Parts: sequence; structure tokens; C-alpha cells
Amino acid sequence: METQHTKPNYIAVFIALVILTAAEVTVTYLPVPRLPILIPLSITKAVLVVLFYMHLKYDRRLFSGLFLIGVFGALAVIISFTLLFGPPLLDTVK
Amino acid sequence: MSDITAPQEIEPTALGVDNRKLAVWIFIASEVMFFTGLIVTYIVMRGRSTTGPYPEEVLSVPLVAINTFILLSSSFTMVTALSAIQRGDARGMRRWLIATAVLGLLFLSGQAIEFTTLFRDGASLSSNMFGATFFTLTGFHGMHVFVGVLWIGFVLARAFRGGVTPDNHLAVELVGLYWHFVDIVWIIIFTVVYLLRM
Repeated sequence: METQHTKPNYIAVFIALVILTAAEVTVTYLPVPRLPILIPLSITKAVLVVLFYMHLKYDRRLFSGLFLIGVFGALAVIISFTLLFGPPLLDTVK
Repeated sequence: MSDITAPQEIEPTALGVDNRKLAVWIFIASEVMFFTGLIVTYIVMRGRSTTGPYPEEVLSVPLVAINTFILLSSSFTMVTALSAIQRGDARGMRRWLIATAVLGLLFLSGQAIEFTTLFRDGASLSSNMFGATFFTLTGFHGMHVFVGVLWIGFVLARAFRGGVTPDNHLAVELVGLYWHFVDIVWIIIFTVVYLLRM
């Protein structure tokens, strides 16, 4: 059943996205390993958009399930390529 | 308070959701895998060029960071357009949709500038493995933005004829879903292609 919801704070989400992006760019200027910091930041941004801008947090579970099928398929592709070609990011990322 | 996700004037369906919205979500799920294939191919192949130019020599983060900000802003204007029509503000919705389309075109302009610079530096689809996979990936993303701008144009045309109302605004929600998804793809591309490269 569809229910009534308060709207998410779209401006707060936007500000969070901008701050996270700025943090990502800043990290590239610091002497720290990039991969373990940047990937979680990037995924956080993607999750913010999908939950609040695409409303999956509030919408029918069916849509979340469909989206997750795509994400699991994506994970399968990533794992397959990693097994086929070796850890993909390590050859160029120090 | 209006519901932020409920489809309007829905025909009874087996799953109880609007078929058009279901179709868009299935399409998005398939697109997730499509772009994953392109992104992973880029990751695997970019380090295997036997001749330059290499990504760390030619890619420019500052320009692309601006483009990223433009696309993030366009997601905000898109969701604000949906919010406006849900409040019954058709005029506001049209303005925010126009703003979204303009931001989309700005993004494409930025990409055109980037591609031109890269071509000048010798990178192209046929230059090496980096060029082939980079332009395939970012080119397909740019094409998606372009399709999004066209889609917004169709929704706007309908809106100006009065075809989008507070009780019937699924068209705005659907183009929004697509637009935000294209934004998500760029979020991942920006990190993987531009920030993780060195």
C-alpha cells in the first residue's frame, strides 16, 4: 500500500553530495591510499541519490528488488572480471 | 501532504504498480549491468595501452569536477521539479525542468570541451586501449544525458499543453528516475575514471 510520507530534505541531500564530492577530490591531493577511501565515498553518494532522489526509501519494495537484481548482476560482472584479469585497480593505482 | 511516490490515475495491474514505472525500473536495472560492463572493461584495459597517451597524462580533474557539480545540481533541480508539481505548482515544475535540461546541456558542453582537448592530445577511440574504453564509456554516458535532455523536452512540451497536472505527473517522476540514474552512473565514473587513476 502507498502511504503518506514527509518529503526528504532534497537540499540537505544535495549539500551532502557536494561535500562528499569535494572530500573525494581533496583525498586525491593527500598522501593516503585512494581506493579504500574513494570507493566508499562514491557508493555513499550513489546510495543517497537512489534512496532520496529516486525515492526507493519510500517506494514499493518491488522497485528496490528490481534495482538490486541489477546491482547483483553488476557484482557478478565485477567478480568475474577480477577473476579473469586479476585485481583490476591494482595495476594502475598505487 | 501529497505522497511523493504514488503513481496517479493508475490502471489496475497484477503487481499493483503502474506498468510504465515498472518498465522504467526494469530498464534501469538492465542499464546498471550495461554500465558496469563498460566501467569494468575500462578498469581492466586502461593500464594495458602499449602506446600513449596514458590516462594520467591527459585527463583533467578540475574541468570534470565542475561537470560533476553541474550534473549533481541537475539532479537537485529535477527532484525539485517533481516536488513542485506535487505541490500543484505547474509553473514551478516547468521552470525547474527547463533548468535541468539547461544543466544537462551544460554538462554535454563540458564533455565536448574535454573530448576536444583529449583529441588534441592524441587520445581517440582508436589511439590505444585507454582511448577505446574511455571514449566508449564516457561517450555512452554522454549519449544517455543527451537522451535525458530530449526526454525532458518531450515532458516539457506536454506540460506546456497542460498534460502534466498535480493529479497526473507520472511523466515527471519517470524522466526523473532516468535522470537520477544517469547521475549515479556519473558519480561512479567520476571516482573510478578520474580520481582512482594515479
